[in-house]
Amino acid sequence: MEKNNMTETLLKIEGLKTYFFTEAGVVKAVDGITFDVRKGESLGLVGESGSGKTVTALSVLRIVPKPGRIVEGKIEFNGENLLSKSEKEMQSMRGREVAIIFQDPSSSLNPVFNVERQLRDVLTAHEKKMSKEESHKKILELMNLVGIPEAEFRMREYPHQFSGGMKQRVAIARALALQPTLLFADEPTTALDVTIQAQVLDLLEDLKKKMGMSLVMITHDMGIIAKMTTRVVVMYAGNTCEIAKTEDLYEHPRHPYTASLLAAVPRLDRKKTLSIIPGNIPNLIEPPSGCRFHPRCEFATKKCEETPPVLEEVEADHFVACYEWKNITLKGESSK
Amino acid sequence: MSRDNKPTAERKRRSASQWAVAWRRFKRSKTGVVGLIIVIAVVVMGIIGDFVAPYPAFPNPKALTPFYNNNVRTPPNSHYLLGTDVLGTDVLSDILHGTKYALYVGIVVTAITMAIAIIVGAIAGYFGGWVDNVLMRITEVFLVFPSLLFILVFVRVLTLGAGAGSSINFLGISIPIGLTIVVLVLAVFNWPGDARMIRGEFLRVRELEFVEAEKALGASNKRIIFRHILPNILSSIIVVASLTVAYAILMEAGVSFLGFGDVNTMTWGQILENNFSDARIVWWALLYPGLAILITVFGFNLLGDGLSDALNPRLRD
Repeated sequence: MEKNNMTETLLKIEGLKTYFFTEAGVVKAVDGITFDVRKGESLGLVGESGSGKTVTALSVLRIVPKPGRIVEGKIEFNGENLLSKSEKEMQSMRGREVAIIFQDPSSSLNPVFNVERQLRDVLTAHEKKMSKEESHKKILELMNLVGIPEAEFRMREYPHQFSGGMKQRVAIARALALQPTLLFADEPTTALDVTIQAQVLDLLEDLKKKMGMSLVMITHDMGIIAKMTTRVVVMYAGNTCEIAKTEDLYEHPRHPYTASLLAAVPRLDRKKTLSIIPGNIPNLIEPPSGCRFHPRCEFATKKCEETPPVLEEVEADHFVACYEWKNITLKGESSK
Repeated sequence: MSRDNKPTAERKRRSASQWAVAWRRFKRSKTGVVGLIIVIAVVVMGIIGDFVAPYPAFPNPKALTPFYNNNVRTPPNSHYLLGTDVLGTDVLSDILHGTKYALYVGIVVTAITMAIAIIVGAIAGYFGGWVDNVLMRITEVFLVFPSLLFILVFVRVLTLGAGAGSSINFLGISIPIGLTIVVLVLAVFNWPGDARMIRGEFLRVRELEFVEAEKALGASNKRIIFRHILPNILSSIIVVASLTVAYAILMEAGVSFLGFGDVNTMTWGQILENNFSDARIVWWALLYPGLAILITVFGFNLLGDGLSDALNPRLRD
């Protein structure tokens, strides 16, 4: 049992479909996502903007904003079906079992509360009887944990008095206040200065180890994926394209989309023009038939246009949803 | 990393709360400060008015002392500073006694108005969809009534029904029933506008990311509405509330002046009504209560403006 700890499944998503019923039509933001998150691992969720990464996270928490709705699929957390839980049950899970850090800390903190109140509110939302002294102590601990100096003093300050990096630390402290077992980090560094990004990422990695939680990094930055994660899920237009160990994915991408993503990362050691992926991310109201990527794929065949491929296991822990993976050789980040 | 947990004096100053910042800004607005001074003066007058007035209030026969002394319609002089009115009461005493009624009307109408408006506006704005639709249609029904007409009719019908002359004792303060009916009717016809404003604020704030963040951390709808969104729109509510006080006082005076008010309670509007028929003679019995209304309403309006400047985040420097 202990030996298997690393491979025990914490979260299992199968065929998840989350649609937005807008006046212009049904936007299929997430259309059949499948992947799992293992206990204690760092999983990357990567894809272009609009590929459904954030909506996937919101679906797990069951806080998809209107007019969005989960229409199909299975979300299992610790063996329990989250989609059959009542709103009350979900409420007590949010923050305590599953938490999320948002992209922009300047807007994800309540502007009229000081940091202490900000953090205390999460604590008291779940533990109504917590005394002021108790929560104060806990808040001090949390602020020290995320490396905010002068905690005793700074907890009385308001979000606008904090720098971006410090604000994100507050947001992290708030998300970790109840020691969740699963943390979604939704592009946690996109809104930050490059110099601060590394600090925040290191902090997240450090906290993940300390608290033994699972971390799902949502990002479009392949660099962050390489640095932070052990496994990666590649998403495209609401579908899962490829799931693999990070190293595997970088060295032997099996899906043409993954390969194009990797080729689009700027590198100093190769004097080559940066390649782009031709075309745009498809319209999610009327997505392309068959494989969503086929209009932009150089290997597309008739079959790709007709039926959507399903994930198949290419090797241990490496899944790809592509008909052509056997027939094509893709370049990864071979120079290592 | 140094973890000096002791705040320095300089840092202490920097960590001013938004209310401290607002107060600093408010102090800089001259009109706002004038408004605040007037409001404080009116409140003080409301509290001590009964004790400093030269003559007691009406049901007490001593109120008619000037009448018994044959001093009806006396112009202002050294004894009757603001003159006496057609009934033979001292105008200064009437105004002083009336102050508490003005405040009662202003505060209670505002409290009821805001309570209804916040509940309706919050629910409509936060939940949206059909809830919003239903609540806003109801609100609009109230808005399309010619409100003054309805207020007059309701006040007249209800005061006839209830024992309007009597008063109820609440915590040792006697509250006239007739005036309370006027207050209730004014509030019932006044909340829709404010409810729409609050709904709009909720619509705006609920889209902000921190609401989603709170939800993601396990906050219930009730908690988000009252603990997270409401504090964010408190500044707008305070501004509207101060303007509502002014509006309520003015409306009550209007209703009384038109002869639909509580004849047993000498509000400022009632003084005007009593003396209007003899306006050409007793100008002082109309001018001074009128000025009291004007200054009070003006004060609350100035206060509202000052608050709106001080609390408006877009003007924050």
